[in-house]
Amino acid sequence: MNDAAERKLALSHLWVAFIAFVVACFMGEYQVLERSGFIPALDSPSVYFASVSTHGVLMAFVLTTFFIMGFGYYIASTSLKQPVWNKPLAWGGFWLALVGVVLAAIPLLTGKASVLYTFYPPIVAHAAFYIGATLLVVGSWVWCVIMLVMFVQWKKANTGQPVPLAMFATTMNAMLWLWTSAGVALEVLFQLIPFSLGWIDTIDPGLSRTLFAWTLHPIVYFWLIPAYTAFYVFVPKQAGGFLFSDEMARLAFIVLAVFALPIGFHHLYMDPEQAKGWKLLHGIGTFVVALPTLVTGFTVIASLEIAGRLRGGKGLFGWILSLPWTNTMVLSVILSLLMLIFGGFGGIVNASYAMNAMIHNTAWVPGHFHLIFAGTTVIMYFAIAYYLWPMLVKKPLFSNSMALVQLWTWFIGMSILTTPWHVLGLLGEPRRISSVVYNNLLTLAWKPYEFMMIFGGLILLGSACLFIYVLAKTQLNPAAEAFDQEIEFAEPIHAVASLPEWLNDIKLWNKVIAVLMAISFGYPILQFFFMDTSGSSPWGY
Amino acid sequence: MQTEPLKPKYEQLLRDFYTQFRAIHIDQLERKWITISLLVIGLFVGIITIDAFFHGVNPPSKVETVDSASLHLNKEFAEDNLGVQADEKGNVIVRMVAGRYAFFPKHISVPAEMPITLRWVSMDVLHGVHIPMTNMSTMIVPGYVAEITTTFPKPGEYPVLCNEYCGLGHNHMWSNISVIAKEDWKAPVKSAAKGGSTNE
Amino acid sequence: MGILNMKRMLLLLAFMAPVVVCAEPSSQIAWTPEVLNLVKNGNLNKGKELAESCKSCHGDKGQGMKEETRDGETLPSIPALAGQLATYTYKQLRDYANGSRSHAQMTGVAKGLSEQDAADLAVWFSSLPAQENKSSSQNLARAEKMVEQGDGKRILPPCFVCHGGKGQGEKQDIPALAGQHADYFARTLLEYKNGQRHNDVYSRMRLIAQQLSEAEIKELAQYYQQVK
Repeated sequence: MNDAAERKLALSHLWVAFIAFVVACFMGEYQVLERSGFIPALDSPSVYFASVSTHGVLMAFVLTTFFIMGFGYYIASTSLKQPVWNKPLAWGGFWLALVGVVLAAIPLLTGKASVLYTFYPPIVAHAAFYIGATLLVVGSWVWCVIMLVMFVQWKKANTGQPVPLAMFATTMNAMLWLWTSAGVALEVLFQLIPFSLGWIDTIDPGLSRTLFAWTLHPIVYFWLIPAYTAFYVFVPKQAGGFLFSDEMARLAFIVLAVFALPIGFHHLYMDPEQAKGWKLLHGIGTFVVALPTLVTGFTVIASLEIAGRLRGGKGLFGWILSLPWTNTMVLSVILSLLMLIFGGFGGIVNASYAMNAMIHNTAWVPGHFHLIFAGTTVIMYFAIAYYLWPMLVKKPLFSNSMALVQLWTWFIGMSILTTPWHVLGLLGEPRRISSVVYNNLLTLAWKPYEFMMIFGGLILLGSACLFIYVLAKTQLNPAAEAFDQEIEFAEPIHAVASLPEWLNDIKLWNKVIAVLMAISFGYPILQFFFMDTSGSSPWGY
Repeated sequence: MQTEPLKPKYEQLLRDFYTQFRAIHIDQLERKWITISLLVIGLFVGIITIDAFFHGVNPPSKVETVDSASLHLNKEFAEDNLGVQADEKGNVIVRMVAGRYAFFPKHISVPAEMPITLRWVSMDVLHGVHIPMTNMSTMIVPGYVAEITTTFPKPGEYPVLCNEYCGLGHNHMWSNISVIAKEDWKAPVKSAAKGGSTNE
Repeated sequence: MGILNMKRMLLLLAFMAPVVVCAEPSSQIAWTPEVLNLVKNGNLNKGKELAESCKSCHGDKGQGMKEETRDGETLPSIPALAGQLATYTYKQLRDYANGSRSHAQMTGVAKGLSEQDAADLAVWFSSLPAQENKSSSQNLARAEKMVEQGDGKRILPPCFVCHGGKGQGEKQDIPALAGQHADYFARTLLEYKNGQRHNDVYSRMRLIAQQLSEAEIKELAQYYQQVK
């Protein structure tokens, strides 16, 4: 199949994602330097909060959405062995999303949208920020529609056949994203845009927090599912083995997508606008969603063990050493799983109300999500990029050893950045401050950790630049010989002849999600329309 | 519309589901792992639920609204009604207003080892407040009263820090609280507190 | 005094005590959406008309008047109103009318203005360009440090986080300070410091002013007078 068009579509999305990523990395290092207070000349709340807002939007919304779209288009066409459906529409979605990013970037970079990537009202940014964000989300919905259409069309043309696992996961993710983004879409369309344009005088910040919490948890699974997809469909083959279980993989994706959604209130444990019963319900759901990650951990490690033993590894742990550590995909999954252990542990702490009370809104929180997202998830984005780039540009990877160095330094830098960050949270340091000015002895305990974080950030920045360098050199290398290999999806050790419909389709799970969302969010949102609330007017910063 | 035939239809669906589920090949080791995971998760959920229902370990819960724009005209959060008060039964209630960029009153004294009910409101935007090394942590959302009851076990001087972005002065938003040993603390002499949980 | 008189005194005091303890709020103005809209929709032309009678003291361009010494007598400065936040001007007029703020001339003036008049005037003055003053040769490094960094030891936020990076003021009612007469500015902070001025909600400016020394106040006054 001549997939030049698909490759161009994927590459365009991935380049936007990675350029946004490296720009945000520079901002990240500036931030950790400014925060430490060791260079007084840098001290500036206005610049700091503009940087944090931009960094957050670029990393959490631009890097992720564009990466997932680009990856999804390529996976859909290669796993289903057909062209992307309605490419003009796909390009339309791309441009809409990109225009949205540029529109939001202008107020962000000029300090007119220093509202952070969570943009909680009643602090308001320039309206262009919210409108830009909306266009980005709507552009991503175009991708969701195309994924769903390709899924449905393939199933019709191949009745009874198991949908390739890679596409099953991608389609679950598309469905997840439609459900996830509805929360923030409601908040932005009905509250924030009219509010920032002066069309409505007041909004209820409690309703805004609730609608944003709807999105805030499942969005991290939207980001995570591509990483898990790589775990299941690339890692086993790259390691030289087989996928331990195709069915369990599907089940994991299903439980992940279903239980990621009705659990957002663990972000609202400390909020006064929701009652404790709902918080407990969401808390229990949060523990349920830990299960598919535990299953994934088992399945992936089991698959690696098969590969290790096939390569001659012996003994209880000897097979680990006989894995191909010089394969970028294999190295990434090992480092990713290591970070997942600690990030996941932090997640369990956050999900438990009594422990949450000690670290809520402290430095622990950014420490946690940098470890679990910038660590576990993003290192797999790198792995996917290294694997796909040669196929997308039809040239061999510029340097495998540079890629390995880049992955190791990302892991080391992330460990040095996030470990002190967690400790700072336990020591009570608040998050989202631009400097430490409290006249209290407690702050003395914080200084050495802030200092250590500067070096974590520096290593990460170097690693990020190296990543871009390797990709750019691969693509632009004039002297490279042609690269002809095709994408290889892992095979399960037990071939899948047939699957029950509910492991091969999303319709049932869509209905289950609807029911769970109605139970978990129905009353908590409706209550705002029956309560006698005095709304807030817009405030600046 | 006949509801009777639906029941056997759903029963059949569930039976099919169960048969299909049993037919999926799940490796023995993976089964064991899933069982262990479910037990661990069950244990955590059990502890949390028991703590919630029997030990009162609960997040802030009472959904109570207030007009944040006119707090100083409100009886309960009037300027002279803020701070620490003891009601007729000896319960300690603290009323605090958060507003850019301070917590009013800027310094309060409370007893150690006694339950303290703190009622926080915002006069402008979202704030968060945390007393490090204690579980006195809550969001303060404009339009709502954040009520939290806790006990400070150790006497000492603690900072009270805002931990939610509230504007460019966020890092300067903090105040102090003295936790005084129970024996040494005297309830402030004041007229009867106005308003409160009963919201006069 | 006999015991009966004492008892009467005590009874009277007992009745008065709740009145004394239930102090008046610092201001009757609350920024509800209704009040914000009233101010926002103030009539510019009506305000201009009403402002004719303000000119004799506050200047024909709302620039106020500097402190003057004539015949050995010092006439205190009159604040510049040009470019001031409409909400702030409205609040001061209403506070004068309600007695939350008092001034020999302004109390009477304000009592003669309705809420709508106050809104119209506020909008008019906010539309006038703020004054720009010459820089002095004074060393204002300490004032600049207070404005940009505050003082963590005294829990003083930097002035700019509320009053704006260029002293332009901020929602809902944080006043613009740029170009204000130094002597009026200093007098205001000193009045906050000694409690003579008390219409700041929750004593937020009183608490800040109490921590500043007189020298710092004078330097900040000069700093803001020359901010452009």
